[in-house]
Amino acid sequence: MLEPVNRLWPCVAAVMVTIAIAAIFLVAPTEQTMGDAQRIVYIHVSVAWMGLAMFVVMAVTGGMYLFRRDLAWDHWSQAALEIGWLCCGLTLVTGSLWAHAAWNIWWTWDPRLTTAFVLWAMYSAALVLRSGVEDPHRRARLGAIVAIVGALDVPLVIMATRWFRGIHPKSPHMEPSMRVALLISVFCFSAFFTTLLLLRRSQLRIADMLEDIECDSCSLS
Amino acid sequence: MVKKLYWMIAKDLLSECRSLRVWPAMLLLGVVVAMMFAMQADLPPERLRQIVGGLLWLTIFFAGTLALDRSFAAEREDGCWKGLLCYPISPTCVYLAKLAVNVVALAALECVLIPLFALLTDVPLLAHPGPIIAVAVLGDLGLAAVGTLLSAVANTGRQSSYLLPLLVLPAVVPLVLGAAEATRLAVEYDFGPAWWRWVQLLAGFAVVFITAGIVLFEFAVEE
Repeated sequence: MLEPVNRLWPCVAAVMVTIAIAAIFLVAPTEQTMGDAQRIVYIHVSVAWMGLAMFVVMAVTGGMYLFRRDLAWDHWSQAALEIGWLCCGLTLVTGSLWAHAAWNIWWTWDPRLTTAFVLWAMYSAALVLRSGVEDPHRRARLGAIVAIVGALDVPLVIMATRWFRGIHPKSPHMEPSMRVALLISVFCFSAFFTTLLLLRRSQLRIADMLEDIECDSCSLS
Repeated sequence: MVKKLYWMIAKDLLSECRSLRVWPAMLLLGVVVAMMFAMQADLPPERLRQIVGGLLWLTIFFAGTLALDRSFAAEREDGCWKGLLCYPISPTCVYLAKLAVNVVALAALECVLIPLFALLTDVPLLAHPGPIIAVAVLGDLGLAAVGTLLSAVANTGRQSSYLLPLLVLPAVVPLVLGAAEATRLAVEYDFGPAWWRWVQLLAGFAVVFITAGIVLFEFAVEE
């Protein structure tokens, strides 16, 4: 059963997504050259930022697990891994859609797209690794190592891909109302994905507690 | 510590020399992949100069993964790993020994692949050996540092054989990019700031991941 405070989270998430969609379609004006396709950018920037932020959460909580050996930290790390994977996947899809509308190509080896792809590949590898380890403490330990290696790698990936080549708009000129819509969208989607993170972390904790109860009842019988 | 390190390295090298289980397969895979790349890359010389670094480093990565994977997979067989952990040696010592053996394996692979690529593509990879050797050594160290740590991680699960390339390839993207670009610039005799920047990235990568390996290896091999 969900804790009382958890019942509020889905409502908060729904309200946040509604506000973000309203800001994207009602506050932001239609861009002159790209038309409505430009609105993808409001979602793209939000999910890209969350994809990167979740990697930091995953590495920090993974490091805390290695330090404290408390599975509660691993629940945060695993939840961040799953939400980060989702955000990175959405970044690739929205980035590709935007690239087709803006540059008439579905994919380009632009530094930020490449970085998003490498992040997504790291998240995917970490998910595959976790799926193959049964023991929760061993899974937490190995997951934490991969998360820390990934976090150390991200600045090097950003540096290397930026030196390699780049056509991504660095800080595009935006109308003030567009900037407001972008800020609202980033804030609301951040709240939405943070809510998902909290819910997933809660679910993992409850699953862990159930497993402990099952183990206890097995040993008693 | 130095003596223990020496014996650990000697044990692995001697075991490989006696059994010849991994290195011949790794070298053969490298040669076959190089031949296939060269066959497909039938391009004008100036285009070949631009892509040969990338092809060379991808071949080193794919063939080298075999050696990286076997460095721990071999220990897992017949309970060797548990025996190794009973010895009075620190995990850091085990990591450094495995790293050194992997560096030697990758260096052997590079000794075969660099002349082979020069021969097959007619790109002057050996015209200025110094810079190419520097790039090869730094790339070798970086790849072995990440590969040794992640090989220990991958070999504790039940899906070790396919997991290692999946874990290592995204992590070595900066290394492969840096080594490929530094090789391309060296082939074009361009040793300006751009070449130094890539060499610094390779050195930084090696330092960061050797340090990370020393710190994290202990957690990877816990039973």
